[in-house]
Amino acid sequence: MSAILTAEHVTKSYPVPGGEMVAIRNLSLDIAEGEFLCLLGASGCGKSTMLNMFAGFTAPTTGRVLLQGRPITGIEPRCGMVFQSYALFPWKTVQENIEFPLRMRDVPRSERRAIASSLIEMVHLDGFADRYPGELSGGMQQRVTLARCLAADPLVMLMDEPFAALDAMTRQVMQDELLRIQERSGKTIVFITHNIDEAIILGHRIVVMSARPGRIRTIVENPLPRPRHVGVQTSHAFADLKAELWAQIEEEVMQHVAASRLAEHA
Amino acid sequence: MAAPDQVAAVAPRNTPFIVLAPPSWLALISLASVLTILALWAAATTFGWVSPLFLPSPVDVARAAAKLASNGDLWRAILASSARVFAGFFLAAAIAIPLGVAMAVFGPVRAMFSPLISLLRPLPSITWIPLTILWLGIGEQQKVMIVFLGSWIYILLATYEATRRVDPLLVRAARNLGAGDFTVMREVILPGALPGILAGLKVSLAIAWSCVLSAEMIAARSGLGALIWEAKEWGDMTVVLVGMTSISLTVLLADAVAGRVELVLQPWERARRRH
Repeated sequence: MSAILTAEHVTKSYPVPGGEMVAIRNLSLDIAEGEFLCLLGASGCGKSTMLNMFAGFTAPTTGRVLLQGRPITGIEPRCGMVFQSYALFPWKTVQENIEFPLRMRDVPRSERRAIASSLIEMVHLDGFADRYPGELSGGMQQRVTLARCLAADPLVMLMDEPFAALDAMTRQVMQDELLRIQERSGKTIVFITHNIDEAIILGHRIVVMSARPGRIRTIVENPLPRPRHVGVQTSHAFADLKAELWAQIEEEVMQHVAASRLAEHA
Repeated sequence: MAAPDQVAAVAPRNTPFIVLAPPSWLALISLASVLTILALWAAATTFGWVSPLFLPSPVDVARAAAKLASNGDLWRAILASSARVFAGFFLAAAIAIPLGVAMAVFGPVRAMFSPLISLLRPLPSITWIPLTILWLGIGEQQKVMIVFLGSWIYILLATYEATRRVDPLLVRAARNLGAGDFTVMREVILPGALPGILAGLKVSLAIAWSCVLSAEMIAARSGLGALIWEAKEWGDMTVVLVGMTSISLTVLLADAVAGRVELVLQPWERARRRH
Protein backbone atom coordinates (compact mmCIF):
# COMPACT_ATOMS: atom_id res chain seq x y z
CA MET A 1 0.00 0.00 0.00
CA SER A 2 1.79 3.08 -1.25
CA ALA A 3 0.74 6.45 0.14
CA ILE A 4 -0.34 8.98 -2.48
CA LEU A 5 -1.22 11.73 -0.01
CA THR A 6 0.47 12.22 3.34
CA ALA A 7 0.11 14.52 6.31
CA GLU A 8 3.26 14.60 8.45
CA HIS A 9 2.90 16.02 11.97
CA VAL A 10 0.64 18.76 10.70
CA THR A 11 -0.31 21.56 13.06
CA LYS A 12 -2.40 24.50 11.94
CA SER A 13 -3.13 27.50 14.12
CA TYR A 14 -4.69 30.87 13.47
CA PRO A 15 -4.03 34.06 15.34
CA VAL A 16 -7.12 35.23 17.24
CA PRO A 17 -7.53 38.24 19.53
CA GLY A 18 -5.54 37.44 22.67
CA GLY A 19 -3.69 34.34 21.47
CA GLU A 20 -4.05 31.66 18.86
CA MET A 21 -6.61 29.07 17.89
CA VAL A 22 -5.19 25.63 17.18
CA ALA A 23 -7.37 24.05 14.49
CA ILE A 24 -5.26 20.92 14.05
CA ARG A 25 -2.57 19.51 16.32
CA ASN A 26 0.11 17.08 15.25
CA LEU A 27 -1.92 15.14 12.74
CA SER A 28 -0.25 12.41 10.69
CA LEU A 29 -2.08 10.39 8.06
CA ASP A 30 -1.23 8.25 5.04
CA ILE A 31 -3.80 7.92 2.28
CA ALA A 32 -3.29 5.00 -0.09
CA GLU A 33 -3.67 5.17 -3.83
CA GLY A 34 -7.17 4.14 -4.91
CA GLU A 35 -8.49 4.46 -1.38
CA PHE A 36 -11.82 5.97 -0.39
CA LEU A 37 -11.09 7.65 2.92
CA CYS A 38 -13.74 9.33 5.06
CA LEU A 39 -12.82 11.99 7.59
CA LEU A 40 -15.60 11.87 10.16
CA GLY A 41 -16.03 14.45 12.87
CA ALA A 42 -18.27 17.02 14.47
CA SER A 43 -18.13 20.63 13.32
CA GLY A 44 -15.05 22.44 14.54
CA CYS A 45 -12.79 19.38 14.43
CA GLY A 46 -10.61 20.89 11.72
CA LYS A 47 -11.53 18.45 8.97
CA SER A 48 -12.16 21.19 6.41
CA THR A 49 -8.89 22.84 7.41
CA MET A 50 -7.10 19.56 6.71
CA LEU A 51 -8.77 19.28 3.32
CA ASN A 52 -7.81 22.87 2.45
CA MET A 53 -4.21 22.00 3.20
CA PHE A 54 -4.37 18.94 0.93
CA ALA A 55 -5.66 21.26 -1.83
CA GLY A 56 -2.90 23.75 -1.09
CA PHE A 57 -5.33 26.56 -0.27
CA THR A 58 -3.58 27.04 3.08
CA ALA A 59 -0.24 25.86 4.36
CA PRO A 60 0.34 24.02 7.65
CA THR A 61 1.82 26.10 10.46
CA THR A 62 4.25 23.26 11.18
CA GLY A 63 4.63 19.86 9.57
CA ARG A 64 4.27 18.92 5.92
CA VAL A 65 1.65 17.82 3.46
CA LEU A 66 2.96 15.60 0.66
CA LEU A 67 1.54 14.48 -2.67
CA GLN A 68 3.39 11.44 -4.03
CA GLY A 69 6.18 12.24 -1.60
CA ARG A 70 6.61 15.86 -2.71
CA PRO A 71 5.52 18.78 -0.50
CA ILE A 72 2.43 20.71 -1.57
CA THR A 73 3.44 24.37 -1.62
CA GLY A 74 0.70 26.16 -3.57
CA ILE A 75 -2.75 25.48 -4.95
CA GLU A 76 -2.46 21.93 -6.26
CA PRO A 77 -4.64 21.11 -9.30
CA ARG A 78 -3.74 17.43 -8.97
CA CYS A 79 -5.84 17.44 -5.79
CA GLY A 80 -9.25 18.33 -7.20
CA MET A 81 -11.74 19.84 -4.78
CA VAL A 82 -15.49 19.21 -4.83
CA PHE A 83 -17.02 22.04 -2.82
CA GLN A 84 -20.11 21.73 -0.67
CA SER A 85 -21.59 24.85 -2.25
CA TYR A 86 -20.80 23.51 -5.76
CA ALA A 87 -18.70 26.55 -6.83
CA LEU A 88 -19.94 26.22 -10.41
CA PHE A 89 -19.41 29.19 -12.72
CA PRO A 90 -22.94 30.63 -13.06
CA TRP A 91 -22.09 32.22 -16.43
CA LYS A 92 -21.02 28.95 -18.00
CA THR A 93 -23.34 26.20 -19.17
CA VAL A 94 -23.05 22.68 -17.79
CA GLN A 95 -20.93 21.73 -20.80
CA GLU A 96 -18.68 24.80 -20.45
CA ASN A 97 -18.22 24.18 -16.73
CA ILE A 98 -17.13 20.62 -17.36
CA GLU A 99 -14.88 21.63 -20.25
CA PHE A 100 -13.18 24.33 -18.17
CA PRO A 101 -10.42 22.13 -16.67
CA LEU A 102 -9.89 20.52 -20.08
CA ARG A 103 -9.32 23.91 -21.68
CA MET A 104 -6.83 24.70 -18.92
CA ARG A 105 -4.86 21.68 -20.10
CA ASP A 106 -5.18 22.68 -23.78
CA VAL A 107 -7.17 19.59 -24.72
CA PRO A 108 -8.34 20.05 -28.34
CA ARG A 109 -11.93 21.10 -28.88
CA SER A 110 -13.29 17.88 -30.34
CA GLU A 111 -11.70 15.81 -27.60
CA ARG A 112 -13.11 18.19 -24.97
CA ARG A 113 -16.58 17.74 -26.39
CA ALA A 114 -16.25 13.98 -26.29
CA ILE A 115 -14.94 13.85 -22.72
CA ALA A 116 -17.59 16.28 -21.49
CA SER A 117 -20.35 14.33 -23.20
CA SER A 118 -19.28 11.05 -21.67
CA LEU A 119 -19.02 12.65 -18.22
CA ILE A 120 -22.46 14.23 -18.60
CA GLU A 121 -23.79 10.81 -19.41
CA MET A 122 -21.92 9.30 -16.46
CA VAL A 123 -23.59 11.66 -13.98
CA HIS A 124 -26.98 11.26 -15.69
CA LEU A 125 -27.36 14.81 -16.95
CA ASP A 126 -28.08 13.96 -20.59
CA GLY A 127 -30.05 16.76 -22.19
CA PHE A 128 -28.86 19.40 -19.72
CA ALA A 129 -25.54 20.24 -21.39
CA ASP A 130 -26.67 23.70 -22.50
CA ARG A 131 -28.38 24.71 -19.27
CA TYR A 132 -26.90 27.17 -16.80
CA PRO A 133 -26.28 26.05 -13.19
CA GLY A 134 -28.98 28.45 -11.97
CA GLU A 135 -31.53 26.37 -13.84
CA LEU A 136 -30.62 23.12 -12.07
CA SER A 137 -31.59 21.64 -8.72
CA GLY A 138 -29.01 21.23 -5.95
CA GLY A 139 -28.50 17.55 -6.69
CA MET A 140 -27.96 18.24 -10.38
CA GLN A 141 -25.51 21.04 -9.63
CA GLN A 142 -23.54 18.71 -7.39
CA ARG A 143 -23.38 16.19 -10.25
CA VAL A 144 -21.96 18.88 -12.51
CA THR A 145 -19.33 19.71 -9.89
CA LEU A 146 -18.46 16.03 -9.68
CA ALA A 147 -18.19 15.76 -13.47
CA ARG A 148 -16.07 18.93 -13.61
CA CYS A 149 -13.72 17.53 -11.01
CA LEU A 150 -13.49 14.23 -12.91
CA ALA A 151 -12.77 16.15 -16.14
CA ALA A 152 -9.75 17.67 -14.44
CA ASP A 153 -8.60 14.07 -13.90
CA PRO A 154 -6.87 14.81 -10.58
CA LEU A 155 -4.79 12.24 -8.73
CA VAL A 156 -6.93 12.75 -5.63
CA MET A 157 -10.48 14.01 -5.27
CA LEU A 158 -11.10 16.07 -2.14
CA MET A 159 -14.74 16.28 -1.19
CA ASP A 160 -15.88 18.73 1.47
CA GLU A 161 -19.28 17.51 2.72
CA PRO A 162 -20.48 17.57 -0.87
CA PHE A 163 -23.91 16.13 -0.15
CA ALA A 164 -24.66 17.98 3.09
CA ALA A 165 -26.94 20.50 1.40
CA LEU A 166 -29.00 17.86 -0.40
CA ASP A 167 -32.24 16.30 0.78
CA ALA A 168 -32.00 12.78 2.22
CA MET A 169 -33.23 10.97 -0.88
CA THR A 170 -31.06 12.85 -3.34
CA ARG A 171 -28.13 12.27 -1.02
CA GLN A 172 -28.58 8.49 -1.21
CA VAL A 173 -28.74 8.60 -4.99
CA MET A 174 -25.56 10.68 -5.07
CA GLN A 175 -23.79 8.34 -2.65
CA ASP A 176 -24.62 5.42 -4.89
CA GLU A 177 -23.31 7.25 -7.93
CA LEU A 178 -20.15 8.25 -6.17
CA LEU A 179 -19.54 4.61 -5.18
CA ARG A 180 -20.07 3.56 -8.78
CA ILE A 181 -17.76 6.28 -10.09
CA GLN A 182 -15.06 5.40 -7.58
CA GLU A 183 -15.26 1.69 -8.44
CA ARG A 184 -15.00 2.49 -12.12
CA SER A 185 -12.29 5.11 -12.04
CA GLY A 186 -10.28 3.82 -9.10
CA LYS A 187 -9.73 7.41 -7.96
CA THR A 188 -8.36 8.18 -4.54
CA ILE A 189 -11.02 10.10 -2.64
CA VAL A 190 -10.78 11.99 0.64
CA PHE A 191 -14.33 12.62 1.76
CA ILE A 192 -15.34 14.83 4.67
CA THR A 193 -18.59 14.25 6.49
CA HIS A 194 -20.22 14.64 9.87
CA ASN A 195 -22.73 11.93 8.99
CA ILE A 196 -21.84 8.50 10.41
CA ASP A 197 -24.07 6.62 7.95
CA GLU A 198 -22.47 8.38 5.02
CA ALA A 199 -18.98 7.56 6.26
CA ILE A 200 -19.88 3.87 6.63
CA ILE A 201 -21.60 3.64 3.25
CA LEU A 202 -18.72 5.27 1.39
CA GLY A 203 -15.43 4.78 3.20
CA HIS A 204 -12.87 2.03 2.85
CA ARG A 205 -11.36 3.50 5.99
CA ILE A 206 -12.97 5.93 8.40
CA VAL A 207 -10.86 8.44 10.29
CA VAL A 208 -12.67 9.65 13.40
CA MET A 209 -11.48 13.08 14.44
CA SER A 210 -11.48 14.84 17.80
CA ALA A 211 -12.34 18.49 18.12
CA ARG A 212 -10.47 21.51 19.49
CA PRO A 213 -7.75 21.00 18.53
CA GLY A 214 -8.39 18.61 15.66
CA ARG A 215 -6.61 15.27 16.09
CA ILE A 216 -7.16 11.72 14.93
CA ARG A 217 -9.09 9.83 17.57
CA THR A 218 -9.12 6.51 15.83
CA ILE A 219 -8.99 4.94 12.38
CA VAL A 220 -11.52 2.22 11.58
CA GLU A 221 -11.16 -0.26 8.72
CA ASN A 222 -14.57 -0.66 7.11
CA PRO A 223 -15.28 -4.42 6.88
CA LEU A 224 -18.39 -4.05 4.71
CA PRO A 225 -18.02 -5.80 1.35
CA ARG A 226 -17.32 -3.98 -1.89
CA PRO A 227 -18.60 -3.06 -4.45
CA ARG A 228 -20.98 -1.39 -2.09
CA HIS A 229 -24.46 0.00 -2.44
CA VAL A 230 -26.59 2.26 -0.21
CA GLY A 231 -28.70 -0.84 0.58
CA VAL A 232 -25.88 -1.90 2.91
CA GLN A 233 -27.52 0.28 5.58
CA THR A 234 -29.96 -2.49 6.47
CA SER A 235 -27.26 -5.07 7.28
CA HIS A 236 -26.23 -6.17 10.78
CA ALA A 237 -22.59 -5.43 10.03
CA PHE A 238 -23.59 -1.84 9.26
CA ALA A 239 -25.44 -1.50 12.57
CA ASP A 240 -22.50 -2.92 14.51
CA LEU A 241 -20.04 -0.58 12.89
CA LYS A 242 -22.36 2.35 13.48
CA ALA A 243 -22.62 1.46 17.17
CA GLU A 244 -18.84 1.25 17.40
CA LEU A 245 -18.31 4.59 15.72
CA TRP A 246 -21.05 6.26 17.72
CA ALA A 247 -19.43 5.10 20.98
CA GLN A 248 -16.27 6.91 19.87
CA ILE A 249 -18.05 10.02 18.76
CA GLU A 250 -20.57 10.27 21.58
CA GLU A 251 -17.79 10.96 24.05
CA GLU A 252 -16.47 13.68 21.75
CA VAL A 253 -19.85 15.29 21.35
CA MET A 254 -20.59 15.14 25.08
CA GLN A 255 -17.25 16.73 25.90
CA HIS A 256 -18.01 19.38 23.37
CA VAL A 257 -21.46 20.07 24.82
CA ALA A 258 -20.03 20.17 28.35
CA ALA A 259 -17.30 22.55 27.25
CA SER A 260 -19.75 24.92 25.64
CA ARG A 261 -22.00 24.81 28.76
CA LEU A 262 -18.99 25.66 30.86
CA ALA A 263 -18.15 28.51 28.54
CA GLU A 264 -21.70 29.80 28.86
CA HIS A 265 -21.51 29.89 32.65
CA ALA A 266 -18.04 31.38 32.74
CA MET B 1 -61.19 14.18 12.49
CA ALA B 2 -61.06 15.62 9.03
CA ALA B 3 -58.16 14.83 6.76
CA PRO B 4 -55.60 17.65 6.60
CA ASP B 5 -56.45 18.62 3.02
CA GLN B 6 -60.11 19.03 3.92
CA VAL B 7 -59.22 21.25 6.85
CA ALA B 8 -57.17 23.40 4.55
CA ALA B 9 -60.07 23.71 2.14
CA VAL B 10 -62.56 24.75 4.81
CA ALA B 11 -60.37 27.05 6.87
CA PRO B 12 -60.64 30.74 5.92
CA ARG B 13 -57.81 31.59 3.60
CA ASN B 14 -55.38 34.11 4.85
CA THR B 15 -54.43 36.23 1.90
CA PRO B 16 -50.85 37.40 2.45
CA PHE B 17 -50.29 41.11 2.19
CA ILE B 18 -46.98 40.75 0.39
CA VAL B 19 -47.62 38.99 -2.90
CA LEU B 20 -45.96 39.00 -6.27
CA ALA B 21 -48.90 40.18 -8.34
CA PRO B 22 -49.22 38.86 -11.90
CA PRO B 23 -47.48 41.22 -14.36
CA SER B 24 -50.67 41.95 -16.31
CA TRP B 25 -52.20 43.52 -13.22
CA LEU B 26 -49.13 45.58 -12.48
CA ALA B 27 -49.15 47.00 -16.01
CA LEU B 28 -52.79 48.00 -15.63
CA ILE B 29 -52.12 49.72 -12.31
CA SER B 30 -49.23 51.65 -13.85
CA LEU B 31 -51.36 52.69 -16.80
CA ALA B 32 -54.16 53.86 -14.50
CA SER B 33 -51.63 55.83 -12.45
CA VAL B 34 -50.32 57.67 -15.52
CA LEU B 35 -53.83 58.40 -16.77
CA THR B 36 -54.84 59.75 -13.34
CA ILE B 37 -51.92 62.16 -13.25
CA LEU B 38 -52.74 63.39 -16.77
CA ALA B 39 -56.43 63.76 -15.85
CA LEU B 40 -55.60 65.74 -12.71
CA TRP B 41 -53.30 67.98 -14.72
CA ALA B 42 -55.97 68.52 -17.39
CA ALA B 43 -58.66 69.21 -14.76
CA ALA B 44 -56.49 71.66 -12.86
CA THR B 45 -55.85 73.74 -15.98
CA THR B 46 -59.31 73.40 -17.58
CA PHE B 47 -61.26 74.40 -14.48
CA GLY B 48 -58.89 77.24 -13.68
CA TRP B 49 -57.56 75.85 -10.37
CA VAL B 50 -54.14 77.08 -11.46
CA SER B 51 -53.31 79.91 -13.83
CA PRO B 52 -52.02 78.84 -17.29
CA LEU B 53 -49.08 81.16 -16.56
CA PHE B 54 -47.89 78.77 -13.86
CA LEU B 55 -48.93 75.51 -15.47
CA PRO B 56 -49.98 75.25 -19.11
CA SER B 57 -52.57 72.60 -19.98
CA PRO B 58 -51.49 69.19 -21.33
CA VAL B 59 -53.23 70.03 -24.61
CA ASP B 60 -51.11 73.16 -25.06
CA VAL B 61 -47.97 71.20 -24.24
CA ALA B 62 -48.88 68.50 -26.74
CA ARG B 63 -49.55 71.18 -29.38
CA ALA B 64 -46.17 72.83 -28.70
CA ALA B 65 -44.49 69.43 -28.85
CA ALA B 66 -46.12 68.69 -32.22
CA LYS B 67 -44.95 72.03 -33.58
CA LEU B 68 -41.37 71.59 -32.35
CA ALA B 69 -41.33 68.04 -33.66
CA SER B 70 -42.62 69.01 -37.11
CA ASN B 71 -40.12 71.81 -37.65
CA GLY B 72 -37.32 69.50 -36.43
CA ASP B 73 -36.17 71.64 -33.46
CA LEU B 74 -37.12 68.99 -30.92
CA TRP B 75 -35.28 66.18 -32.72
CA ARG B 76 -32.18 68.33 -33.20
CA ALA B 77 -32.19 69.17 -29.49
CA ILE B 78 -32.60 65.53 -28.46
CA LEU B 79 -29.90 64.44 -30.88
CA ALA B 80 -27.46 67.13 -29.69
CA SER B 81 -27.93 66.20 -26.02
CA SER B 82 -27.80 62.46 -26.71
CA ALA B 83 -24.56 62.76 -28.68
CA ARG B 84 -22.92 64.64 -25.79
CA VAL B 85 -24.19 62.13 -23.23
CA PHE B 86 -22.98 59.14 -25.16
CA ALA B 87 -19.56 60.61 -25.97
CA GLY B 88 -18.94 61.56 -22.34
CA PHE B 89 -20.46 58.38 -20.98
CA PHE B 90 -18.44 56.03 -23.18
CA LEU B 91 -15.26 57.92 -22.40
CA ALA B 92 -16.07 57.59 -18.69
CA ALA B 93 -16.82 53.87 -18.99
CA ALA B 94 -13.69 53.24 -21.05
CA ILE B 95 -11.53 54.75 -18.32
CA ALA B 96 -13.47 53.90 -15.15
CA ILE B 97 -14.18 50.20 -15.75
CA PRO B 98 -10.55 49.10 -16.26
CA LEU B 99 -9.44 51.37 -13.43
CA GLY B 100 -12.13 50.06 -11.09
CA VAL B 101 -11.17 46.44 -11.78
CA ALA B 102 -7.48 47.27 -11.34
CA MET B 103 -8.20 49.03 -8.03
CA ALA B 104 -10.15 46.03 -6.77
CA VAL B 105 -7.47 43.54 -7.74
CA PHE B 106 -4.19 45.38 -7.12
CA GLY B 107 -3.61 47.01 -3.74
CA PRO B 108 -1.01 49.52 -5.00
CA VAL B 109 -3.37 50.83 -7.70
CA ARG B 110 -6.05 51.21 -5.05
CA ALA B 111 -3.65 53.08 -2.78
CA MET B 112 -2.63 55.34 -5.64
CA PHE B 113 -6.10 56.38 -6.77
CA SER B 114 -8.31 56.25 -3.71
CA PRO B 115 -7.21 59.63 -2.21
CA LEU B 116 -7.89 61.34 -5.53
CA ILE B 117 -11.30 59.70 -5.77
CA SER B 118 -12.21 60.60 -2.20
CA LEU B 119 -11.48 64.23 -3.04
CA LEU B 120 -13.34 64.29 -6.36
CA ARG B 121 -16.32 62.24 -5.31
CA PRO B 122 -18.25 64.89 -3.32
CA LEU B 123 -18.04 67.42 -6.17
CA PRO B 124 -21.24 67.71 -8.23
CA SER B 125 -20.46 67.97 -11.94
CA ILE B 126 -21.96 71.46 -12.01
CA THR B 127 -19.03 72.76 -9.94
CA TRP B 128 -16.74 71.84 -12.84
CA ILE B 129 -18.54 74.16 -15.24
CA PRO B 130 -16.45 77.32 -14.61
CA LEU B 131 -13.13 75.50 -14.99
CA THR B 132 -14.19 73.46 -18.00
CA ILE B 133 -15.46 76.60 -19.76
CA LEU B 134 -12.13 78.24 -19.08
CA TRP B 135 -10.24 75.22 -20.44
CA LEU B 136 -12.43 74.16 -23.32
CA GLY B 137 -14.79 77.06 -24.14
CA ILE B 138 -18.51 76.45 -24.47
CA GLY B 139 -18.43 74.01 -27.38
CA GLU B 140 -19.05 70.29 -27.57
CA GLN B 141 -15.83 69.34 -25.80
CA GLN B 142 -16.88 71.15 -22.66
CA LYS B 143 -20.27 69.39 -22.55
CA VAL B 144 -18.65 66.02 -23.08
CA MET B 145 -16.14 66.84 -20.37
CA ILE B 146 -18.91 67.70 -17.90
CA VAL B 147 -20.67 64.41 -18.64
CA PHE B 148 -17.40 62.58 -18.22
CA LEU B 149 -16.56 64.30 -14.93
CA GLY B 150 -20.05 63.74 -13.59
CA SER B 151 -20.32 60.06 -14.36
CA TRP B 152 -16.89 58.42 -14.27
CA ILE B 153 -16.60 58.20 -10.50
CA TYR B 154 -19.95 56.43 -10.17
CA ILE B 155 -18.95 53.91 -12.83
CA LEU B 156 -15.63 53.45 -11.08
CA LEU B 157 -17.19 52.87 -7.66
CA ALA B 158 -19.76 50.43 -9.04
CA THR B 159 -17.05 48.51 -10.88
CA TYR B 160 -14.81 48.45 -7.83
CA GLU B 161 -17.57 47.18 -5.55
CA ALA B 162 -18.77 44.60 -8.07
CA THR B 163 -15.24 43.27 -8.56
CA ARG B 164 -14.56 43.09 -4.84
CA ARG B 165 -17.76 41.14 -4.34
CA VAL B 166 -16.95 38.33 -6.76
CA ASP B 167 -17.21 35.08 -4.80
CA PRO B 168 -13.64 34.16 -3.72
CA LEU B 169 -14.73 30.51 -3.73
CA LEU B 170 -15.11 30.68 -7.52
CA VAL B 171 -11.59 32.08 -7.86
CA ARG B 172 -10.34 29.27 -5.65
CA ALA B 173 -12.27 26.67 -7.67
CA ALA B 174 -10.85 28.02 -10.94
CA ARG B 175 -7.29 27.87 -9.62
CA ASN B 176 -7.91 24.37 -8.31
CA LEU B 177 -8.98 23.41 -11.83
CA GLY B 178 -5.69 24.69 -13.17
CA ALA B 179 -6.47 28.29 -14.16
CA GLY B 180 -3.74 30.97 -14.13
CA ASP B 181 -4.08 34.69 -13.35
CA PHE B 182 -5.16 35.65 -16.84
CA THR B 183 -7.90 33.03 -17.03
CA VAL B 184 -9.13 33.85 -13.53
CA MET B 185 -9.45 37.50 -14.57
CA ARG B 186 -11.14 36.84 -17.91
CA GLU B 187 -13.38 33.94 -17.02
CA VAL B 188 -14.16 34.42 -13.34
CA ILE B 189 -13.63 37.97 -12.09
CA LEU B 190 -14.93 39.88 -15.12
CA PRO B 191 -18.10 37.82 -15.69
CA GLY B 192 -18.64 37.75 -11.92
CA ALA B 193 -18.44 41.52 -11.72
CA LEU B 194 -20.44 42.13 -14.91
CA PRO B 195 -23.92 42.33 -13.33
CA GLY B 196 -22.73 44.94 -10.83
CA ILE B 197 -20.86 46.88 -13.49
CA LEU B 198 -23.88 46.96 -15.79
CA ALA B 199 -26.16 48.05 -12.93
CA GLY B 200 -23.67 50.84 -12.17
CA LEU B 201 -23.63 51.87 -15.83
CA LYS B 202 -27.41 52.13 -15.88
CA VAL B 203 -27.47 54.40 -12.83
CA SER B 204 -24.60 56.46 -14.21
CA LEU B 205 -26.37 56.88 -17.53
CA ALA B 206 -29.19 58.76 -15.79
CA ILE B 207 -26.60 60.83 -13.92
CA ALA B 208 -24.85 61.58 -17.22
CA TRP B 209 -28.11 62.99 -18.56
CA SER B 210 -28.54 65.34 -15.62
CA CYS B 211 -24.94 66.50 -16.14
CA VAL B 212 -25.44 67.38 -19.79
CA LEU B 213 -28.65 69.26 -19.03
CA SER B 214 -27.07 71.44 -16.38
CA ALA B 215 -24.17 72.16 -18.70
CA GLU B 216 -26.55 73.06 -21.52
CA MET B 217 -28.63 75.35 -19.33
CA ILE B 218 -25.61 77.36 -18.37
CA ALA B 219 -23.94 77.70 -21.73
CA ALA B 220 -25.15 76.12 -24.93
CA ARG B 221 -27.00 76.95 -28.14
CA SER B 222 -28.32 73.48 -28.78
CA GLY B 223 -29.67 70.54 -26.84
CA LEU B 224 -32.64 69.97 -24.57
CA GLY B 225 -31.14 72.02 -21.74
CA ALA B 226 -30.72 75.00 -24.05
CA LEU B 227 -34.25 74.53 -25.38
CA ILE B 228 -35.66 74.69 -21.86
CA TRP B 229 -33.51 77.64 -20.81
CA GLU B 230 -34.36 79.73 -23.88
CA ALA B 231 -38.08 79.03 -23.43
CA LYS B 232 -37.76 80.15 -19.82
CA GLU B 233 -36.24 83.44 -20.98
CA TRP B 234 -39.36 83.98 -23.12
CA GLY B 235 -41.66 82.85 -20.31
CA ASP B 236 -42.91 80.02 -22.51
CA MET B 237 -43.72 77.29 -20.00
CA THR B 238 -45.28 75.02 -22.63
CA VAL B 239 -41.90 74.58 -24.31
CA VAL B 240 -40.23 74.12 -20.90
CA LEU B 241 -42.62 71.25 -20.24
CA VAL B 242 -42.03 69.82 -23.72
CA GLY B 243 -38.32 69.81 -22.93
CA MET B 244 -38.82 68.19 -19.56
CA THR B 245 -41.08 65.49 -20.98
CA SER B 246 -38.61 64.82 -23.78
CA ILE B 247 -35.82 64.34 -21.24
CA SER B 248 -37.90 61.84 -19.30
CA LEU B 249 -38.87 59.88 -22.39
CA THR B 250 -35.35 59.89 -23.84
CA VAL B 251 -33.81 58.65 -20.59
CA LEU B 252 -36.54 56.00 -20.29
CA LEU B 253 -35.78 54.84 -23.81
CA ALA B 254 -32.04 54.77 -23.12
CA ASP B 255 -32.74 52.76 -19.97
CA ALA B 256 -34.87 50.27 -21.85
CA VAL B 257 -32.11 49.82 -24.44
CA ALA B 258 -29.59 49.37 -21.63
CA GLY B 259 -31.84 46.73 -20.09
CA ARG B 260 -31.90 44.80 -23.37
CA VAL B 261 -28.13 45.04 -23.70
CA GLU B 262 -27.84 43.74 -20.13
CA LEU B 263 -29.79 40.60 -20.98
CA VAL B 264 -27.88 39.99 -24.19
CA LEU B 265 -24.57 40.24 -22.33
CA GLN B 266 -25.73 37.93 -19.54
CA PRO B 267 -27.58 34.94 -20.99
CA TRP B 268 -27.26 33.14 -17.65
CA GLU B 269 -29.28 35.90 -15.94
CA ARG B 270 -31.97 35.49 -18.55
CA ALA B 271 -32.11 31.78 -17.78
CA ARG B 272 -32.36 32.51 -14.05
CA ARG B 273 -35.21 34.99 -14.46
CA ARG B 274 -37.20 32.53 -16.52
CA HIS B 275 -37.49 30.30 -13.46
